Amino acid sequence: MTKKIFAALVAVIICLSVAISASAYTQEYVIDYADKLSSSEIEELNLFAEKLETAYGVAVLFCITESTGDVSADEFAEETYGDYTDNKNGIIIVHDDWNKTYCVFTSGNAGEYLTDAAVDSMKDAYDLNESYYGGIYACYDLAMEYLENGYTGGYVYNDDEFVYAGEADDPKTENEKDGVSIIWLPVSLLIGLLVGFLIINSIASKNKSVKMQENATVYTRPGSMNITGSADNFLYKNLDRTEKPKQTEKK
Amino acid sequence: MSTILEQKCPNCGGAVEFNTVAQRLKCPYCDTEFDITAMPEDTANQVEQVNWNSQGNQWAAGETDGMSVYACNSCGGEIVADSTTGATSCPYCGNQVVMKGQFSGALKPDLVIPFKLDKKAAKEALKKHISTKKFVPKSFLADNRLEEIKGVYVPHWLFTCDAVGNANYKATKVRKWSDENYNYTETSYFDVYRSGNIGFDNIPVDGSTKMPDDLMESVEPFDLSQAVDFNTAYLAGYLADKYDVTAEESMPRANERIRQSIIDSFRETVKGYDDIENQGANMNIANGIYKYALYPVWLLNTSWNGEKFTFAMNGQTGKFVGNIPTDKKAVTKASLLLGAGIGAVIYGLMWLIELL
Repeated sequence: MTKKIFAALVAVIICLSVAISASAYTQEYVIDYADKLSSSEIEELNLFAEKLETAYGVAVLFCITESTGDVSADEFAEETYGDYTDNKNGIIIVHDDWNKTYCVFTSGNAGEYLTDAAVDSMKDAYDLNESYYGGIYACYDLAMEYLENGYTGGYVYNDDEFVYAGEADDPKTENEKDGVSIIWLPVSLLIGLLVGFLIINSIASKNKSVKMQENATVYTRPGSMNITGSADNFLYKNLDRTEKPKQTEKK
Repeated sequence: MSTILEQKCPNCGGAVEFNTVAQRLKCPYCDTEFDITAMPEDTANQVEQVNWNSQGNQWAAGETDGMSVYACNSCGGEIVADSTTGATSCPYCGNQVVMKGQFSGALKPDLVIPFKLDKKAAKEALKKHISTKKFVPKSFLADNRLEEIKGVYVPHWLFTCDAVGNANYKATKVRKWSDENYNYTETSYFDVYRSGNIGFDNIPVDGSTKMPDDLMESVEPFDLSQAVDFNTAYLAGYLADKYDVTAEESMPRANERIRQSIIDSFRETVKGYDDIENQGANMNIANGIYKYALYPVWLLNTSWNGEKFTFAMNGQTGKFVGNIPTDKKAVTKASLLLGAGIGAVIYGLMWLIELL
């Protein structure tokens, strides 16, 4: 029995490891539907974008395509963003290389520091560069600058200049909010121990099979039960009212 | 002076036994089989009256109370048994003997359920019973020794009656709702009453003080449709006791089970509530009759660490019961391991939910 439990425990740990490693899988930030970049260039740009997300919690995606298909450019941008990242805060710049147009989708608070002016300057930097790789790299470079100025100094890029907009939330603190506090680990263990104790003792209690019978229902003559009197009388009722817990406002 | 009956083979004169497979009497010496009905219940050459006189030291007053002495028809050996023993084997020649007087007149059982399962089946059932249990100490599995196995016809009183009764229950209904600021829970209380009647057939109550009541009730139920009219021939090869608990003394237990059955059965008709709690019940018994029957039970005694363990198997259906010791260290270890595993899963799931 102990061996089986141990095996089950190992299986659970393996499953958890797989799940956590799957969740930690490096995602793609640069989507090249138009086949304009080499795999090494994509890899390098992905690393740059990953660095941005790790530092500021904002996903910056760039997509090169030659068609948005049957959907509008806006829908295409939103769908592509959802397909490639789970981050609630982020931005995707879609460049239709055939029509030479852009579409931008912003999610969560990414627009706070990646303002319209900032995105326009990123698009300009992309256009001015001769290579696709160089253009996207310049884009990420600018994104890094805007996010850094925003989160460290509270400066926002507007009208070709940085304007002070007040203290920003520490992006690292924001990131910590996404995880589960370590306090829950002992709580989980306590709950687990209680459940484990109940399960194992329930199994062990089956070693005792000698007990008096509670009733003689098994000896009831089939069809002999006849209810001759029945009454369900209401007595009284109690009403309890408890105030709902109020949610604390986020900063 | 005591009288014993020994079923003898008409061919060779050997003591015959009841065979569970053939459901007939069989001579273990010449393998001849006989129908139960073919064997005379009582004949002159099979019944022997034995007078014996004590020699040497005399029993002190009261010392022989509850004890009877018989002489074996085959070897003449002296068989000492307590006053309730109805069938046993001779300690000298092994022949099966029935103390005829224990089942005569008013003591004659109305019914007997013959053994359907033999000693081998009982041994295998014990093995299976122990091997399928969890957290049994390893030393129990290794050192547990089967000391005794015996097939016993256990006297039971069977009660049949029509019970008329009523029961009261306290029932509650719970309704929950909420608005913008509050959660509401409304609990409504009801007094529920049910009355009616139920018929019961052949509720068994152990009629032997030698048998633990909980053990006998644990091997229930027996299929009384397979019972036959009592014949001492069925006792050949087994132990049997006559009752030493009277029907009147057994009635309170039957009444207790009937009363609980009324509470439980009437409760099934109380529906639509979230919680139902019994507040009391009354009952009257009508048309009550009782019968005396012998039920087949295999008893197996084992010992481990100087402690005795008794197991029982229903000799008709094969239902096997018996308490087995539990390895507390193994239980603690397994609880901790499983608990840690469940805790890790809970924490992991919290992470996954948070990440998703």
